[in-house]
Parts: sequence; structure tokens; C-alpha cells
Amino acid sequence: MRAAGLTVHLNDSHGHAAGNAVVILTPAQPAADSAPAPLPATHVIDQKDETFLPYVQLLRPGDRVVFRNSDDTRHHVYSFSPIRKFDFVLRPGESSPPLQLDQAGIAAVGCNIHDHMISYLFVSAAPLIALSDRSGNASFARLAPGRYTAQVWHPQLYPGQPQPSQPVTIAEGAGTQMLSFTLSLIPDPRMPMDRGRLDY
Amino acid sequence: MGFRLRLALFFVATLVTVQLLTAGLVYEVTRHALISEGERQLTANARAFEAQMDDISARVAGNVEVLSLDYALRSAIAERDRGTVLSVLRNHGRRVGASRMLLIGLDGRVQADTAGATPPLTRFPFPDLMRSAYMRRTAAVVATDGKAAWVVVVPIYAPQPVAMVVVYVPLDDALLAHLQHLSALPRDLELAAQLTPGHWSVVARGDRHAGMLASLVAAHQPLPRKPRLTVVDGQQYMVLAQPLQQPASSRPVMAVLGYSLDSALQPFRAVGIAWGSLLALGFGVGLLGAWLTARSVARPIESLALAARRIEAGDYGAPPGMPRHDEIGQLAATFASMTAAIRQREQHIRHQAMHDSVTGLPNRAAAELAIDQWLAAAGSAGGAVLMIGLTRVPDIIKTMGHALCDRLMLDASERIRRTAVEAYLARITDMQFMLWLPQADEPAATAVAIHLLDALNLPYQDTDVTIDGLPSIGIALAPADGSDAATLLRHAEVAQFAASGSSAALSIYDAATDPHRPERLSLMGDLREALEGSKLSLHYQPKLDLGQRRIEGVEALVRWQHPRLGWVPPDSFIGMAEDTGNIHRVTRWALATALAQAKRWRARGLPLQVAVNLSARDLEDRELPARIGALLAIYALPPDCLTLEVTERAVISERDTAIQILRRVAEQGIGIAIDDFGVGQATFAYLRHLPVSELKIDQMFIKHLATDRNDQIIVRSLVDLSHRLGYRVTAEGVESQGALDYLAAIGCDCAQGYFIAPALDVDGFAAFLTARGGTVGVRTPP
Repeated sequence: MRAAGLTVHLNDSHGHAAGNAVVILTPAQPAADSAPAPLPATHVIDQKDETFLPYVQLLRPGDRVVFRNSDDTRHHVYSFSPIRKFDFVLRPGESSPPLQLDQAGIAAVGCNIHDHMISYLFVSAAPLIALSDRSGNASFARLAPGRYTAQVWHPQLYPGQPQPSQPVTIAEGAGTQMLSFTLSLIPDPRMPMDRGRLDY
Repeated sequence: MGFRLRLALFFVATLVTVQLLTAGLVYEVTRHALISEGERQLTANARAFEAQMDDISARVAGNVEVLSLDYALRSAIAERDRGTVLSVLRNHGRRVGASRMLLIGLDGRVQADTAGATPPLTRFPFPDLMRSAYMRRTAAVVATDGKAAWVVVVPIYAPQPVAMVVVYVPLDDALLAHLQHLSALPRDLELAAQLTPGHWSVVARGDRHAGMLASLVAAHQPLPRKPRLTVVDGQQYMVLAQPLQQPASSRPVMAVLGYSLDSALQPFRAVGIAWGSLLALGFGVGLLGAWLTARSVARPIESLALAARRIEAGDYGAPPGMPRHDEIGQLAATFASMTAAIRQREQHIRHQAMHDSVTGLPNRAAAELAIDQWLAAAGSAGGAVLMIGLTRVPDIIKTMGHALCDRLMLDASERIRRTAVEAYLARITDMQFMLWLPQADEPAATAVAIHLLDALNLPYQDTDVTIDGLPSIGIALAPADGSDAATLLRHAEVAQFAASGSSAALSIYDAATDPHRPERLSLMGDLREALEGSKLSLHYQPKLDLGQRRIEGVEALVRWQHPRLGWVPPDSFIGMAEDTGNIHRVTRWALATALAQAKRWRARGLPLQVAVNLSARDLEDRELPARIGALLAIYALPPDCLTLEVTERAVISERDTAIQILRRVAEQGIGIAIDDFGVGQATFAYLRHLPVSELKIDQMFIKHLATDRNDQIIVRSLVDLSHRLGYRVTAEGVESQGALDYLAAIGCDCAQGYFIAPALDVDGFAAFLTARGGTVGVRTPP
């Protein structure tokens, strides 16, 4: 049995590549031999130039996250997300204590001082999960042939809308297949100019 | 309508018309400019209204934005703390002047409502507003519960979108008034909403509202999307309905903006009043000026019209002088010269009507007028009318022409004028002049006439001919011969006619001998009656046969016993009967009567010859011979018992016809005698062609025959000659024994005259015969 690849291309309704999108492939028949759970990891969310980096961070349940302030100003990092509520005031150069996220879900992280700072912690146990790069591509390799469902999440998807998904069939020895999504997105809240436009 | 009034009215009407046209034009231009200005303003106002609404949106949204940044609110929302959320919303709602604030979850369900009107988890009715709120500032007008509101939707980030805050700002009268107060929005502003489908109603008004929507609805007009002229409460408005930004599911709401043209025209009203005053002033001045101008034109024309009426009435007095140099002055001058020309012509015509063009003398009409005037003025003074005729004028015209005749008459008039300087001279006809001698009696008039004849008898010398005009003058005297000019002229002409036939060439009118006097006409009618009523009778003058000394025959003479005038002499009515054509009847009557008498005499044993006189006119009657023959046959008389007597003049004048008729009579055996022989122009040479059997020597030669040697010689020669030519000879007018003896001595055949017997009626003739011995054959005493 030969494995095959899948590249999911994402762009917005204006045809621009949509990076920072999370794509989860769910096979129609769960794999019998699930891979053993990897060891918990610690991820650093840096704050630089009043921006969280990265914008979207993929985590496995049990992973830890550390917020580091690389700016010259204070940041008040907070989240009201149901999977974990927290808030830290970080002085310049200060890092938060590691924060363990055990529950799958999405936590939106903001700065109470700088409204345009936002970051998302995507906690998922899904084995086939990928983040789209700047050119809007999320790639999967060594996929067993069969039928899958591709589900997409993006931080700027219209709130209150169901997540877009598509069925996809991976054929044996078909090389890398292409799947594309066109996402209806709201403006990027991180961009100071955009927020300025919305700044009444 | 007088010329003056019409002229003035024309000027004023022109002035008013031009002014009104200008005023109308200016009004229309201004109105159009205002309409354009209204359109522009309305469009600008609509944009301004939108901009103000946007400002409200910005203000409200800014406030909500600030609200959304509140950490406590974020945490309250995130932790679904409804009580805290409501109190925070109410607090901020008061700040922004909102009437109601909602918190909507991302699923579109209402989570909190400050008005408390919405049950929790009800769907927000305008989801499209929520969708666009993430993209852009979102605000819109909605109509609910009969009111309009400005709805602003703001998303809440914590830090990702967690909810929406909806702010309701009421669009009520106060807000509109506030907006109008802040900016240059039109004074007339209404907010209309279609609360029930197809029916617009006003939900808010500005501080002034003319009821524009109500007027549009009443007129069943749609809301104008572009500025349109509409009448609102009798006033002109530009109206524009501006649609507002609205969610898809809201009932339609529009802003109705009005622009009052009348208000816009208000500043021009003062200009209009000033204009009207100026127009009225100009009107008055124009009227006065037009009247003055018209008067200066009409006055002289009226005076000319007056002058024309005077001329019509015959008054040629000089028309009013006009010292002007314009057209009217020229007209007046022309008028004056025309009047003068008419006056001259009328004088000329009048002169022509009353004067002869050749001699320049007054004509007949003028003369009669002058004489009548004189007679009326002078009363019984009288005068003499001399009718001066040039008898030969008709011949002169025929031979020499009118031109020479005119010169002759002119010359004659000058001669008369020289002779009778004081008298009134006129030319009556082509050939007659009239001279009126006032107060002249017969001797004076006769003396003047003789002088005139002397002057006129001198022949007229033309270039190469010498002409004798043969003048004759008749005189009539006033009042003896007539009391008016017409009668005098007529009588003078009668006298002149008589004079033209006499050697004296001068005659004074005598009513007794006037052949034209009116009685003659009635006499003629009487004669006709006499013929029919046997009022005429025949008298018979015996004719003595000198050889046998016995009465051989009679000459029948017509006598007329007029019932009123008594005996009318034959000379009086025979000539008249000839002129009027009645002589034939007289002759026929005489012939019939004479032959009847001859028949009676024969019956008594008196075989008398009967002689009947014929007129010259009778010798034109071609039926005469047959008629005589018939009469002879009726009375069974031999033709030789009748003799017809004709005068020399009769046989000479009507030569051929007369000779033929006489021959036919003679052929029947009837005797023909020439009466009054010796005084006329008949010659023996001529007589030889006539069937004459007897000559009757005129009494002129017989009257003094007893004593006059010459007469004796003439008579004896005539008798001798006649006998030699075979004619019997009768002497007329024998009045003495000596004459009778001489005639007998020289062998004259018969004698007739008073000495033997006058003309006798039948009874007288019978007595005469008895006295002479009872028979024809009785000899007369020696």
C-alpha cells in the first residue's frame, strides 16, 4: 500500500492566500493503529512590536505555553476562553509561567492594553492537522488511501458561522492531490490600519 | 373714437405691453433660476442630511467602541453576567442619547435589551446589519412601532468577536430640529415611513413642515426621487424624497425635503414692488406724454377738418394758418392752395354756366335772371327787349364753318356793344343777341334798333371773305308785351322773326298779328269742331260774264261763324289750317258743299259755274283728282261746271307734284284758274306747261283801272296776251262802273268785285239774282 499526499489551498473571497488556517483531515474509518501520543511540548508565544507571534499556535492537549514580552511596554495578556481563563501582566522582557492546556478547544488571547493584539491557541488531538503557510497551503503526506473529511478553521471566519468542510477521497498512488477552499473572512483584527479604519 | 384718443391709447398700450412682457420675462427667468437653485439646494441638503446622520453614527459608534473596550464589560459578557451587561448598556445608552440598547450574541439572538421589550434569545430582526458590522461601520434607519430610529451596530471583541451592541437613536422631531439648527438643512423637512405597505406616513418633522407628504399623498403622486415642483397648500415647493440607508428587512423610510419657491421669491418681492411703482409712474408719464403728443397732432387736423366742412358748405374762406414745418404744416399749406383752386374753378364754372364762351356775354339763363331781377326791382318802370338776329348765320355755318361764324358773332357783339354802351347785352342763341334797354319806351327802343341795324348792316370783313349777316330786330316792350323775361324774350323773338321777312328788318311785337299766340291753338280745335258741326259756311261771290252781261258763275268762299269770336276772317284760319295740316279737310268740305249747292241751283234751272279755292297744300294730295271725280259723279254734275282756283305761289313751290295733280284734274274736264295773277312770279312761259284754262287778274291792277293809264295798258296787254294763249280772263276787285266799262271794252271775259256784288250767302245770292231779274241770264243794267 503506497501512501499519497494532499495539499489544501485556502484563499479568501478576494482570491488572496489565506495563511494561519487550521485544516483537520478526518478519515471516514478511523485508523486501527493510532500512532502513540507524543510527549507534551512547551510553546513560546512571543510579543514583539505589539504583536503576538505566532498568530495561530497548534497544540496537543497537555502541551504548555509560555508568553514572553520582547517589547519595551507592558502587556496584559488575557483570555476568557472556556478551555482556560487566565491573565498576566508582563513587564518588558518578562515571561509568564508555563500554562498547561489539557482541554481541546480554541483560546483567543488578547492584550488588554493593546486592543489590536490577538493570538489563537488551537488545542486539538486530531492526528491529521496542519496550518496553512503564507501562500495558503496546508500539506499532508503519507496519507492512507480512502475517504476523508477536510475541515477548516480560520481566526477571521465570520463569527457564528459553521466551519467549512469538504469530503475528499485519497486515491492509491495518486501522488499529491489538491483541495481548495474559498473562505469568507472578516478583516484581520491585528492590523493597526484596519483597526484604525474601524476606529470610530 | 377720436384720432387723438386712439393715438394716445396706442402709445400707452404699447408701453404697457412692453413693460408687462418684460416683467413676465424677468419673473420667469427669476423663477427658473430659483427652481434650478432649489434643485441644487435640495440635492445638497439631501447629501448634508446623510452626512449628519453619518456623524451621528460616528458619534454613537465611537461611544460604543469605547464601551466595548471596557474590561469589566468584556468579562461580564464572556461570563454571561446579564445583570452587569444591562446596567453597563443603560449607562452608555444615556451617554449617547439612545432610546434602547441591545446585546446580540454571535448567533444573532438577543441576549439583553435595555427596553426589556424583547424576550431573551429572540432573533435580531436585521441580520444583514450584523454581517456588515465586522467589515465596516454599520448604521441604518429602521421603522418600528410607528417610529423611526437610527440603528448603530458595533461588534464587541474579547479579544475575538464575542457579541454585538445595537444602539437605537430615535429619529424624532427633536432630533430633526436639532439637525436643522446645527446646519443649513432646509426649513421644510419631514421623515416619511411606509409603516403599512403602500402607505406613507410622517414619523417625524422638522421645526417647520408644510405638509408636503400629505399634499403628495392627496395628489396621488409618488415621492419624487428627483427635485420636483409641487403645490403644497397653494404654495409652490420643490420637493425631493431622499431614500435613507436601511437594512433589507426594514420598512422603507425617506427624508422628504422641501424648498419653498415663494419663500425664495420673498427677497424679490421688494424688487417687484419697486418695479411696479416704477411701471405705474412710467405709465402715468407715458399717458400724459402720449396725450400731449396726440393733442399736438390732432388739434391741427381737427381744425383742418372744420375748414373742410366749411368748404363743403361753400365757404371758401382761408383755412387756419399753421406756422409749422412738419407734415401737418405741409398738409395745411396744400389744403389752402387746394381751397383757392376750388374757389377759382367754381367761379370759372359759374361763369361758364351763365356766359357764352365765344363772346363772353351772358347767356339766355343769365339774361332772363337779370331782366327778372330788374323788373322786380324797378317795379313798373318797364323797358324794352331787342332781339337781334343774324338771319344768315345757319347758311354761313353750313358754308364757312363754325370758326368763322364765331368770329362773325364776336364782331357783331362788339358792334352792338359800341352802339348801345349802357344796355345789357346777352347772346341768346347761335344766331341771336338780346339787348335789354331799361326804362326804354317804344320810340327810344326803335331809335336804338335803327342804329343797331345801321351798324350791323355793314358787311363783316374776314381775311378773304366779306359776309353780310342780314340782321333783323324784334322789339318787345315791358310791361305791355310781358311782365317776365321769358315772355318778353319769346315775344321779341316772334317780332324778330316777322322782321326777318320784311324789308324794314325791324318789327315791334303786335299781339294781334302774332301767329304764335296761344289762342291759335284753341282756334284750331274750334275749327275741327266747326268742320264736324257744320259751323262753317260758304259764301258765293257772283262772277259776271262781260260779253253776255249775265252772271255766269260764282266763287265759293269759306266763312266761319265762331260761337265766341263772331266772324273769323279766312286769312286768320286758312293759314293756320295749312300749318296744322287741317286744310285738306277744309278743302274737302268746301268742294262737297259747293257742288251740293251747284246741284240745287241746277235743279232750279240755274246752270252756274262754281269756283273753289285750293291751297298749295292741297296740291300735295294725290287723291284729290279721284275725290273730285267721285263728288261730281255723286251729284251728277258735268265736270265743266267746276273750276279750281290756285295761286301762282302754290303752283310754283310744289312744282312736279302740283303739275301732275292739276293735269289729272284738268283731264277730267275741270277748269283750272290762276288766282291773283300778276303779282307773283308766274310767267307765261311757265304757265304754258300747266293745264290752265283761266287767269284771274289781281285786284291790284283793277282797283284804279278807271283812272290809271298804266294799269289800263297792263290789263289790256294781259287780256290780249291771255286770249292769244287761249286763256279766259277774269278781273278781280272791280269797284267802279268805269273799270267795268273799260274791261268790257277791251274784251275781258269776266269780272268780279264789290261793284257787281260782294260774297253772299245762299239766301243773299238768291235775293241778288231776283233783284237782277231772277235769272242767270239777265243782263245787268248798262
